[in-house]
Amino acid sequence: MKIDVKEQDENSMTFIVYDAEVPFVNAIRRIAMMKVPKLAIDDVFIVKNDSAMFDEVLAHRLGLTPLVSDAASIEGLVLPEDCDCDSEKGEYCPRCSVSFSLREKGPKTVYSADLKSCGDSKIKPVYDTIPLLKLKENQEVDLEAVAKLGIGKDHAKWVPTTVCAYKQYPDITFNEDEEVIYAVAENCPRGVLEADREEGRIDIVDIENCSLCKTCVRTAKAADSKFINVGYRENDFIFKIETDGSMPPKEVLLKACDVLDSKADEFIIFSEGGS
Amino acid sequence: MIPIRCISCGKPVSAYFDEYNRRLADGEESKDILDDMGITRYCCRRMLISHVETWE
Repeated sequence: MKIDVKEQDENSMTFIVYDAEVPFVNAIRRIAMMKVPKLAIDDVFIVKNDSAMFDEVLAHRLGLTPLVSDAASIEGLVLPEDCDCDSEKGEYCPRCSVSFSLREKGPKTVYSADLKSCGDSKIKPVYDTIPLLKLKENQEVDLEAVAKLGIGKDHAKWVPTTVCAYKQYPDITFNEDEEVIYAVAENCPRGVLEADREEGRIDIVDIENCSLCKTCVRTAKAADSKFINVGYRENDFIFKIETDGSMPPKEVLLKACDVLDSKADEFIIFSEGGS
Repeated sequence: MIPIRCISCGKPVSAYFDEYNRRLADGEESKDILDDMGITRYCCRRMLISHVETWE
């Protein structure tokens, strides 16, 4: 297996995986979305909310606000089910939770930047500019929010990725025996093909952008020709991952691999005769 | 109030909302602002373009 990074920036990454299998790449994709833990506000204690927004709507908005969850920031935090504290009683321990407070008085728009972390925790909202609610003259909001680690399987607020998808590498071939049909290139909605009338052929200019829509094949078919064939390479994949900013994409992949690793370990222990 | 995240893909589009509105008021084209802010998918773009503020 070989991996080529095509594009990479702070929150997204596109790479090509050569010589892999669908079940493997799909396992990585599913684990990256559903099993990688990240922080999100889970409990909100509302002391006062004079705004026109209902308490539950406000709590939902707080939950969806992405919080910084990269490895350095959440070091030492554990999932609530792995913690030995008694969170059932409504008590929160610093090992599995992070508290925030929000105390504002109108008139103003309350932004995610106003969400103050209690204590000296490094954890804060990823974006400072998310409007949470609007307060009018003399309206107040006073609440405490408790963030916990969680996994995407339980709630969308814990899904670290926005886009996490792969497609098989497109494979476009031309039938040399057939007459060149230039309309094939003109009809391509994604600019993958380009007609080269001087050379009398069609050039593939951006194969990775091909979505296998087969508009070109249908164009050729309309002219009763099998000039172009569109397929895909069975074992090569274009993988795109984009995060909501709470952690870098490489970290999501790394943690996904860790989770897959621990699942495999369970199988090893079982196979070796353990329980 | 604008939803925090894009309803389809989950990108936190609300973080760009104020900047979008400010630049729109300055006379920039909607398309140029969205391209510049890196909101490339049409699911996220429609969140900002079609939002109607009914809060006041």
